[in-house]
Amino acid sequence: MLDESIQELAAGALQRIAMAGTAEELEAVRVEVLGRKGGALAEISKGMGKLSPDERKRIGAVLNQAKQEIETALDARKATFEAVALAAKLDSEWLDLTVPAPGPRRGHLHPITRIQRELEDLFVSLGFAVLDGPEVEDEYHNFDALNIPADHPARDMQDTFWLSGGNLLRTHTSPVQVRGMERLKLPLRMIAPGRVFRNESVDASHEHTFYQLEGMMIDRNVSVAHLLYFMKTLLTAVFQRDVTVRLRPGYFPFVEPGFELDIQCLICGGPGCPVCKQSGWVELLPCGLVNPHVLRQSGIDPDEFGGFAFGLGLTRLVMMRYSIDDIRQLQGGDLRFLEQF
Amino acid sequence: MKFSYNWIREFVPGLTQAAGPLERLITMKTAECEGIEETGALLGNAQVVLVESVEPIAGSHNVKTQIDAGPLGKRTVVCGAPNCRAGMHAVWTPIGKKVVSGVESDGMLASASELGISRDHAGILEVDTIAGLVPDAAIEIDNKSITHRPDLWGHHGMAREVAAILGLPLTDPAKLELLPEGPAAIQVMIEDYALCPRYSALVFDNVTVGPSPLWLQYRLTSIGLNPINNIVDLTNFLMAELAQPMHAFDADLLHGDTIFVRTAKAGEHFRALNDESYTLDAANLVIADAAGPIALAGVIGGGESAISDKTTRVVLESANFQASSIRKTSAGIKLRTDASMRFEKAQDPLNTVRALARAVELLPLVSPGIRLVGGVADACGPLAAPPVIELSLAWLARKLGRTLASGEVRRILESLAFTVADMDADTFLVTVPSWRATKDVGIKDDLVEEVGRMIGYDSITPEAPLAPVAPPPANPARRMQHDVRNLFVDNGYTEVYNYSFLSEADVRAFGMDPNDHLRVLNPIAEGQELMRSSLLPGIWNNVKENLKYRDSFRIFEIGQEIHPNETGLPSEVPHLIAAVYDRKETGLFELKRMAECLLPGAQTKPAQGREYEHPARAAEIHWRGELVGRLFELHPRMMETGRAAILDVNLARIAELGEAPTKYTPIRRQPSSAFDLSVVMVNRQHAGDVRSAIAEYANPLIESTNYLWEFALPDGKKSVSYRITVGSPERTLPSEEIMAIRADIIAILRELNYELKV
Repeated sequence: MLDESIQELAAGALQRIAMAGTAEELEAVRVEVLGRKGGALAEISKGMGKLSPDERKRIGAVLNQAKQEIETALDARKATFEAVALAAKLDSEWLDLTVPAPGPRRGHLHPITRIQRELEDLFVSLGFAVLDGPEVEDEYHNFDALNIPADHPARDMQDTFWLSGGNLLRTHTSPVQVRGMERLKLPLRMIAPGRVFRNESVDASHEHTFYQLEGMMIDRNVSVAHLLYFMKTLLTAVFQRDVTVRLRPGYFPFVEPGFELDIQCLICGGPGCPVCKQSGWVELLPCGLVNPHVLRQSGIDPDEFGGFAFGLGLTRLVMMRYSIDDIRQLQGGDLRFLEQF
Repeated sequence: MKFSYNWIREFVPGLTQAAGPLERLITMKTAECEGIEETGALLGNAQVVLVESVEPIAGSHNVKTQIDAGPLGKRTVVCGAPNCRAGMHAVWTPIGKKVVSGVESDGMLASASELGISRDHAGILEVDTIAGLVPDAAIEIDNKSITHRPDLWGHHGMAREVAAILGLPLTDPAKLELLPEGPAAIQVMIEDYALCPRYSALVFDNVTVGPSPLWLQYRLTSIGLNPINNIVDLTNFLMAELAQPMHAFDADLLHGDTIFVRTAKAGEHFRALNDESYTLDAANLVIADAAGPIALAGVIGGGESAISDKTTRVVLESANFQASSIRKTSAGIKLRTDASMRFEKAQDPLNTVRALARAVELLPLVSPGIRLVGGVADACGPLAAPPVIELSLAWLARKLGRTLASGEVRRILESLAFTVADMDADTFLVTVPSWRATKDVGIKDDLVEEVGRMIGYDSITPEAPLAPVAPPPANPARRMQHDVRNLFVDNGYTEVYNYSFLSEADVRAFGMDPNDHLRVLNPIAEGQELMRSSLLPGIWNNVKENLKYRDSFRIFEIGQEIHPNETGLPSEVPHLIAAVYDRKETGLFELKRMAECLLPGAQTKPAQGREYEHPARAAEIHWRGELVGRLFELHPRMMETGRAAILDVNLARIAELGEAPTKYTPIRRQPSSAFDLSVVMVNRQHAGDVRSAIAEYANPLIESTNYLWEFALPDGKKSVSYRITVGSPERTLPSEEIMAIRADIIAILRELNYELKV
């Protein structure tokens, strides 16, 4: 009789659990059936004291089983409700990820900075110091120490901006060579990238302000063969492909012999095209063995040390790398240009 | 400078290479060629014809001519030249048939200009013969690449190079034996041989001045010179041939029989051939007669003694002047002439008489009947002996990175007219020819170039240099600038480069005095006369330009501020300048965050707005106890629209201060506690002052003071809340101790007249 009422109670509870529509209804069932105080099962177990030990043991087992069944059903039903609730909550958190993220995008380094850094890293990896020199120079460092005395026609090769107070705007990065020789211990390897100035009218291919990278290596027994090897290695790294170079005579008072270095045209590879003006070669940079007068001027004994020097046109390289057709863009500050790099 | 291919070939008779391949050889071994220009192309098929008849063409200024082209028969040619008439001999070129003025014209009767002989295009050329006039090519050499080569400013010098390159013999046009002997008809007095090492001259009479023969006009025209008259043309021809500038005076217009070479007197006037008058000073060297200057030495002749139709007697000057003196004078009066360009390269004093000898040979061809009067006037100072250079072959091989047979070195040097003697088995004694000795070749390194270019640098195998393995010295300043660039780029800023020049208006717009700026003495354009002492005008301009296309953007620049010093070089101070533009919002807080990313612990201290700054939105940036920069919005007056926030940081100052050393402290094991405080402040009071007050209290148990928020209260007040975190590394603080700290802070703030809600 007790068995029956337990089973009936359990069956009823299970049915109500199955039919509960909300977590609250489910909780009501739990309290009604399993509640410690006044729960239906608790009420039944109260009357168990009157039973014989055997009967009590048996009914106890039945009671326990019913309780477990109900608890299991309650937990399962509760988990279902929770899962649904979580799903609903997550669903309500839907985000449109096609909306642009707020905040600024990454900005852009100036193209000259980019190429300059690339070259700085390359030279540092080859053991070269990166030196800085002033943009306003004295005549001594810009000209005299480089074997270009006053009234030398070579001064016409570089139209100069003269400043109040007798100084000038450096016309090349070569004066940093002189400062390097004054400062660094021998043997030395150095580059000096920087801004230079020439008094020239500005058009799509001429600027009064542009960037150069001066390089110099001074050691015992430096030869033209070393210069050739070095320039080939350097330019192969710069252009990221095998480069064929040639030297031909060029006059720069601070080197002797002096060269113009050409590279085989990277567009046509030699047969000739509009870029190389059909010659197969593109003039790239001046270089040479450091003139002994220049060494002596900086306190270096040309009988013991010699070296090579070169001047790379950074601006020109940038224009070649990105096919920039108007040099004025580089100092124009126009974001529509700068954001492309 | 332009070189006539045919002219070079006169001195290198064995030359078979065409102009194109020759140009490439010259580029690889001597000097850079800039291109080849065909000259006199029409002369190839031109011939002299008889104009048999001329008929007018109705309604046209042209005429219809019948010509007799000899073996080619008779042709009808339409001609528009005013001088076209029956019976004349003209030059006909078969350029094809074409209908002109309704008449079919076969070929063309050509002017001297069309033929390339001169610039005369007033009418067709009337001439009996054009024998010897053949098409030519002008090879243009980059002047810069022969700056060091006085000898290459004439055809004979270039011909010597060509002969050396090709291993061919060279002929010499100057025959010194033609120079007349005996006393000269004119005296020369040189005041200072340093300024004028040599002055040679000849006198001629029975001169007829008129147009030059066609061969001479053609030569000059093909290298870009303008034929004038036979005497002047010949001086130009000699200059172009031998690199020796010459000048002809009308002898009858000179005063006295002595030519003086002296410095000008201060204030002395001189009227030149170009009709310009110059006021001279002692830095200018003049050629003078008894009455005054007749030429500005080495630059230009005088107007009063110029050759004219009436000239019958000529003094022909062939002199040598100090290069730097000519250059100074030419630069001083801003007049560069073909003569001054050559003299400033340091010409060879031995060349003066060579050019006179050549003149003696050629003048009778251009002025028939001309007669020499007397011998050569030749004033000459002591001439330096040509340098002798010791050249070690082993050293030469080390410099080039290639071994060379001694015979080859000798052959190359001799082909370039160096004299080579043996000193010992390894060493040559090399004597430099006079025309290379003035400035060009003086040391053994110069000979490396001579040998290197002739063997061809492509014959040298590249070889890796042996260099010590050593890390290069660091450049922390540059490293830091690159780091700053990365920081700003990563945060959305785009790098700009601006010019180093500013205008006076730019400078004034930012409250600076133009007189505090370094000035460009020869600016390229108006508005570029001052060196920038601030990057502000540049970035301001960038903002104004870009806001035309963008509603919002971020830019920055790293560049040098240039400030003049009393003496020596100016101070160049690297600065960072960053700008945030937005149509509506201020970018000040974004830039403040950037300043704090760049300079951890930086403090922003309110400052009085400057003239160009928003008066209520300006602050100083302090770092490690020093003023390092400024943060502000540009004054709305400076902007047509929108707001521009600016951060300006002195990078040199930052580099000097350096980063604080990194110090590790163990992570605290003891829990910290926090309490919040809300302070009532008047609206314009700075929230940061509360923080400073708490910082001044300097209780070591305070871990941090963090601003939480603020909100407005009535009556122009606001409530600002802070969270104060306290703790100790050694122990857990009892609540009484925490409450004591809180009470201390409240007391301090009340002392400062802040109202606290507690």
